[in-house]
Amino acid sequence: MSAFLQARSKEFGLLLQLGMEKKQLNKLIFLETMLIGAVSIATGILFGYAFSKFFFMIIRELLQLDSLPLYISWKPFTLTMCAFFSLFVIIAMTSVVFIRDQKIIELIRGNWKTDEMQSFSTVKAVLGIVMLLFAYAAAAFTTMNVVKALSIILPPVAALGTYFFFTHSVMFILHQMRKRKSLYWHRYRLIAVSEVSVKLRENARMYFIVTIVSTFAFLSVGTLTSLSSYTGQFRELNPLSLIYSSELTNPYESEHISLIRKELEEQGISYTLVPFVIKQQTSSYSQYKVNILRESDINSLAIALGLPLISLEAGVGMFIPYSEESIKSLANREIQTVLEESNIPVQIKGVYPQMLFPSMVIGSNIIVVSDADYELISEPLEGRTAMTSSFNFYAFHVAAWERTKSIGLSIDTQVTNSIYNEDYTNLPFYFENPGFNYSIIRATFSLLLFTGLMVAAVLLLAAGSFVYFKLYTGLERDKRQFDVLKRMGLTDRELIKIVNRQLLPQFFLPWGIAMLHSAFSFLSLQVIWSNLAEVSILSDMILVLVGFTFIQVVYYFLIRWRYIAHVRA
Amino acid sequence: MDEVTKVYEGKVTHRAINQLNFEVKKGEFVAVMGPSGSGKTTLLNLISTIDSATSGMITIDGLSPEEMTKNELALFRRRQLGFVFQDFNLLQMLTVEENLVLPLTLDGLPIKEMKRRIVDLAKKLGLEQILEKRPNEISGGQAQRTAIGRALIHQPAIILADEPTGNLDSKASRDVLELLVKVNQEQKTTILMVTHDPIAASYCDRVIFIKDGEFFNEIYSDERRQTFFQRILNVLSLLGGNVNDLSTIRLP
Repeated sequence: MSAFLQARSKEFGLLLQLGMEKKQLNKLIFLETMLIGAVSIATGILFGYAFSKFFFMIIRELLQLDSLPLYISWKPFTLTMCAFFSLFVIIAMTSVVFIRDQKIIELIRGNWKTDEMQSFSTVKAVLGIVMLLFAYAAAAFTTMNVVKALSIILPPVAALGTYFFFTHSVMFILHQMRKRKSLYWHRYRLIAVSEVSVKLRENARMYFIVTIVSTFAFLSVGTLTSLSSYTGQFRELNPLSLIYSSELTNPYESEHISLIRKELEEQGISYTLVPFVIKQQTSSYSQYKVNILRESDINSLAIALGLPLISLEAGVGMFIPYSEESIKSLANREIQTVLEESNIPVQIKGVYPQMLFPSMVIGSNIIVVSDADYELISEPLEGRTAMTSSFNFYAFHVAAWERTKSIGLSIDTQVTNSIYNEDYTNLPFYFENPGFNYSIIRATFSLLLFTGLMVAAVLLLAAGSFVYFKLYTGLERDKRQFDVLKRMGLTDRELIKIVNRQLLPQFFLPWGIAMLHSAFSFLSLQVIWSNLAEVSILSDMILVLVGFTFIQVVYYFLIRWRYIAHVRA
Repeated sequence: MDEVTKVYEGKVTHRAINQLNFEVKKGEFVAVMGPSGSGKTTLLNLISTIDSATSGMITIDGLSPEEMTKNELALFRRRQLGFVFQDFNLLQMLTVEENLVLPLTLDGLPIKEMKRRIVDLAKKLGLEQILEKRPNEISGGQAQRTAIGRALIHQPAIILADEPTGNLDSKASRDVLELLVKVNQEQKTTILMVTHDPIAASYCDRVIFIKDGEFFNEIYSDERRQTFFQRILNVLSLLGGNVNDLSTIRLP
């Protein structure tokens, strides 16, 4: 606010000189602010309402709703008006305070701050750099055990480090550079470097704020894209479209399966159904329960999913991965075991190279054996009857898997009810509809992402505009300076080169630091994510950072173009 | 300058300079005087090639700025012209030393050569003590001496001075003018100075008076500065310029 008023300080000074009372001036500023507020609220609401249909359409798409008609209600309008009006009142009140204690002559001259060479402290300069490096190192080498503690400690350390960096370290570095004449007394550098150091010093606090704001923008969008990159990998983790597993005692089995098939057919969704029986035995090797599948069942599933086929000899088995990570860890595993109840020796080696079932649907111990061996398993699991030691598994493959969200809703309701009645563990079946789960996850995440993008865009624009505004207020002075230089024989090309060297750090230093901040934060975030779900957020992060870089570059050229036009005029 | 005319087009067409003729010899120290609005600054802008005449010819050292491209003009200004302004126009963010060296850095001279020239100039202008200071830490006289140093460091053919004493007290004014005279005599640099101040003008070899953009009169200096000063005042009173334009000091 003070920056905005400072730009007009000459005008205020003149008014006071002409005999305006301070009270009247306060009234004037207050009135002006309120007038601007009223006009901007009105236009804002007008444009906002004009574009609301567009936003409705986006949200409808995200939530996959059938329709979301435009409606008119007085509530959002009143809320917007009240919120922004109170904001403008606060701004108007506080802005009056800024010019209260200024002398008229100082107002007219327009220099509120003394133009002395603000000294920097070497200690703070070094401290700033050290704090940043520490924060980066800690973020880069974090582990799950300390990530919680670090997430509390690091942000303040990084923020303080950034503050010292802009207020002291930058000055310190530039000062070191100015001492080296062979480096500094070089064509455009003399003017550009000294000018940059003035601008960075004058606006150090602003650049600090811009950096923090940009970091927040990057982080919010980055976090949200990492969430949606989880949804992107959802299909890979859930290769089957509908899963129904049933204990042999399940009375609903045939009813449910025919219901699912009927619903799929009614909606015209083509599907492949692969039913099989999973047997359970105790492994002599680990003394744990293993789930056993038949080779031909796996192969018919693989055909349906378009995955590689397997062929096993008698007495040989293979692991079925229960999670992405397990593919790697089981790949070179080879064990000799005996399926105790039926007394069948099996040598288990290797792992099926793809996820077949969502993790933990069948359990973590899954193997596949040859058809012959499978037939030999006849004895029930120890302590269980024949009816409870194996179960039926129905795997539906649907190519258009996202369309299955309305399939089997009544089965879902039954599950929900039983959870409600607290007899979930007694439920004789298990039903999973990844398409339905996906639609929920997708809607939530993309809604969050959408909001995050909006917030980030606003923050970035605000940061960029502030840089532009600062340039604009210093324009008169810069123009005079370039006039002198032009008189002294600065060519147009040299002028542009100097402007480039002047603007680049102003634009890309805060941005660069913000980039670094967020890059290292994402390193920590990856640690958290890889523990939650096995998802790599790297590619998405790079995409987000590249996207922001692009926006920033466009913004830079836009403002450079305006600035050069003004300075040359 | 041959029949030079400058017309400012706009809502009100204004003829700033009208068929002005004069010649400045190499190594001459010339003052241009005239009341406010007589076109002195326009004249200086034309000679410094940042503005071009509507008609007429300006020739500097056999070269005609009109025939040069923008780029050539910039290089011409950089190598052949030196500027001294009323409000010094030193770059605030640079130290005195850096302000001095500025024209040379643009041309990419070797550091050694730049350092050598600074040492020479600082000695000549008495700036040795303040080389590390910034423009806002030094007095007006020191600032103007720095500006003159900046105008001299690339050894230009002509120095163009716009009211160099306008913001200085009488002591600093005298220092600056004596310095200009010394430069003029020792280095044979041509100096063209625009001024309001008859005392400043009395240091010159010749004073050209213009009024409303037209040539009015010219007088040459004589043995004694006092009598030259008196003659300048006489012409000024003839000119009938605004009384405020004249210095309140009658005699130095």
